Amino acid sequence: MNRSSAASAQEHLLHGYDLGAFYDEMFSAPGVPRPHYAKVLDGILKMTATEFEESRQLADLSFLLQGITFTVYSDGRGTERLFPFDLLPRVIPYSEWERLERGLSQRVMALNHFLRDIYGPQRILADRKIPRALVLSCRHYLREMIGVKVPRGIYTHIAGIDLIRDSATGDYLVLEDNVRTPSGVSYVLENRLVMARTFPKIFEVCQVLPVDHYAFELGNILRSISPGQARSPVVVLLTPGIYNSAYFEHSFLAQQLGIELVEGRDLVVDKDVVYMKTIHGLTRVDVIYRRIDDEFIDPLAFRRDSLLGVPGLMGAYRAGNVALANAIGNGVADDKAIYAYVPEFIRYYLGEEPILRNVETYICSRPDHLKYVLDNLERLVVKAVGESGGYGMLIGPMAAAEKISEFRDCLKADPRNYIAQPVIALSRCPAYDPRTGHMAGRHVDLRPYCLFNGDRVVIVPGGLTRVALEPGSLVVNSSQGGGAKDTWVLRGES
Amino acid sequence: MLSRIAESLFWIARYMERAEDTARILDVNYHMLLEQSQQTYRLRWEPLVYITGEQDRFFKLYSVATTQTVFEFLGFSQDNPNSIAQCIYRARENSRTIRDRISREMWQDINSLYHMVSRFRAEEEIAVGPHRFCSTIKFGSHRFHGVSDDTLPHDEGWQFLQLGRALERAEMTARIVDVEYHNLVERRTPDEKPDNHQWMAVLKSVAAYEIYRRQYHSRIDPEKVAELLVLHPQHPRSIRFNLAVLQSSLRAISGSAPGYYTNEAERLTGKLHDSLMYDRIDEIFARGLHDFLTDVLATCREIGDHIAHSYFYYSASAA
Repeated sequence: MNRSSAASAQEHLLHGYDLGAFYDEMFSAPGVPRPHYAKVLDGILKMTATEFEESRQLADLSFLLQGITFTVYSDGRGTERLFPFDLLPRVIPYSEWERLERGLSQRVMALNHFLRDIYGPQRILADRKIPRALVLSCRHYLREMIGVKVPRGIYTHIAGIDLIRDSATGDYLVLEDNVRTPSGVSYVLENRLVMARTFPKIFEVCQVLPVDHYAFELGNILRSISPGQARSPVVVLLTPGIYNSAYFEHSFLAQQLGIELVEGRDLVVDKDVVYMKTIHGLTRVDVIYRRIDDEFIDPLAFRRDSLLGVPGLMGAYRAGNVALANAIGNGVADDKAIYAYVPEFIRYYLGEEPILRNVETYICSRPDHLKYVLDNLERLVVKAVGESGGYGMLIGPMAAAEKISEFRDCLKADPRNYIAQPVIALSRCPAYDPRTGHMAGRHVDLRPYCLFNGDRVVIVPGGLTRVALEPGSLVVNSSQGGGAKDTWVLRGES
Repeated sequence: MLSRIAESLFWIARYMERAEDTARILDVNYHMLLEQSQQTYRLRWEPLVYITGEQDRFFKLYSVATTQTVFEFLGFSQDNPNSIAQCIYRARENSRTIRDRISREMWQDINSLYHMVSRFRAEEEIAVGPHRFCSTIKFGSHRFHGVSDDTLPHDEGWQFLQLGRALERAEMTARIVDVEYHNLVERRTPDEKPDNHQWMAVLKSVAAYEIYRRQYHSRIDPEKVAELLVLHPQHPRSIRFNLAVLQSSLRAISGSAPGYYTNEAERLTGKLHDSLMYDRIDEIFARGLHDFLTDVLATCREIGDHIAHSYFYYSASAA
């Protein structure tokens, strides 16, 4: 291809690209790519729009044929949707990643300390670093877990920490912590495979750090928490089943880990020991990587109407006969009001200054904060403390008047259930819009997956970059029209 | 191996086989009928519905068996849980629940077959005739078994695939022989000649036409067709052949030595296989073919039940 046609292709894909008033991940100014994007841009924009569109369709077909889909059950038969995947990768220079890695490690360690403390000696409550009432009133603080010795003291085996970049400062902020059953890592691994297949040359030139050791690291952690002595531990992944929207991920991880994927009905508990039903009788289970929420995991301990769980599992767990990852009761650390105190946890437990900052947060159970929030609803984002996935949320500046007054009533009725934050202008990254055939700026976040082995935190470089594919949208969740990008952390300095 | 996974493998193979067998009888029947008079037309479509055992459901939905109604019912109908499209859908749903335990190749193969089948439109296919659709299914099933054999370890899970396929195939062949014999021989008026074409179609529907020609060098004799489909030791669709597969897979799973059995499924399989090994076709006819096949089908159903009781649904309490 000669120089002039390359130039026209470049002009075509990024034709009319508008940086807007946001931090753009790829460009520092119109037409000026950031240095770490230079090679990617060069490689991808050498393609014509037609070639790019062909690559995109091939990638989509590959996802469809591999069944990397999530299912929407509205027609009784289940319609499968592709998780929209944008071919333009999000690139992070090593220096930036190195700092994120330190900040995330610190945060995950502090969260683990916190959980171990509040289900144990409760030093932090005695030392009044967080209001006792705030912790004890959390719906996800489970009294059943008080005094339970979890294997090797690990609660947060797997953490998904959501990061955003604030357009105002260009700095990363922690948006929320997910230390219950964070999902999405399968997309990180599968997206990478599809990218490597679609753009092998660009890949080679860019020197991207690999991510495929995730399952190896996770497997080591799962085996390390086995309560069994000498024999080789039996580890299983417990899924709610095929109708769960993350089912693909469960089966993918089980396969990568080389462990059995089980449903509740495959397990039985007898005299506080967990077994799985095999064709040759019952086999003892030592470790369960569970992807069922706390409240559904054992109908004898929590929700009695749960058909997904395993009756008696909590008994076996408390007796120390089976290990669970993540621990039960972690939801208290995901509480969005508790979140506001995580920087304090880092100082208190680690004696360090937090490397990654929080988004400024108003805790509505505090009367002064509540008053401010009620006076400024139109300018704030309000979130229910226990929700995830973008549910239970009010984005003030975009909300209709009725929605705002509805939230006003909710806030007054149950202030403990809400927090509020200023609207953060998320950074944007170019994403392909198939409707126009052009790249356009779309808001992105980043969820790295952090594995805690009891001594240190291992993070596969990058994570899941979620992108709000609808123009102007700030919601990146897959349940609400979000898609994903592969995230490239470049080797060494870029 | 988890009971649930073994059960899914068993059913994946059964549904695949059911889809393939249904596609075979549809395709062959259609092509034979192109050369027949309108009169025989209707008489030839009805037996197909009987072979699949879905006559009650069929006559609730349609008043008469025509190319259109039977093809729609056996090929696409959502109201027929055993239509080809439904079988492929269920084989794929079962695969989806155990996709971590089958090879990536198997999953992609069955997933793409499902997407291919979903794209067929009943009206369009009825207009062009069943060949295109049925070939897709037939080759899809062959490819599935090829991919499985080549990418799945031949461990217990693979043995459950063999069980599902062999049991389904034995039952299907028994029903084909039973229905067709009744239809072409017993229902015939004395002045009708035996219909060579129709018997050829029966043989082709179970991929046995060439083997018949080589073996018997004669015009088609219903008794010999029955002998081939019931007793032949090597024809992969004969009942005896499939009982042999059942026996060897059941033993591979339980570890029973030759001459011994571990559970009821093995005992019944061994017993039926022995009788198929030592019975002659004239003895079977002397007893009555229909009664004999009715017994075979009943035993197959029992074997299926006992496989479920021994391996999938035993009562669970720790020793």
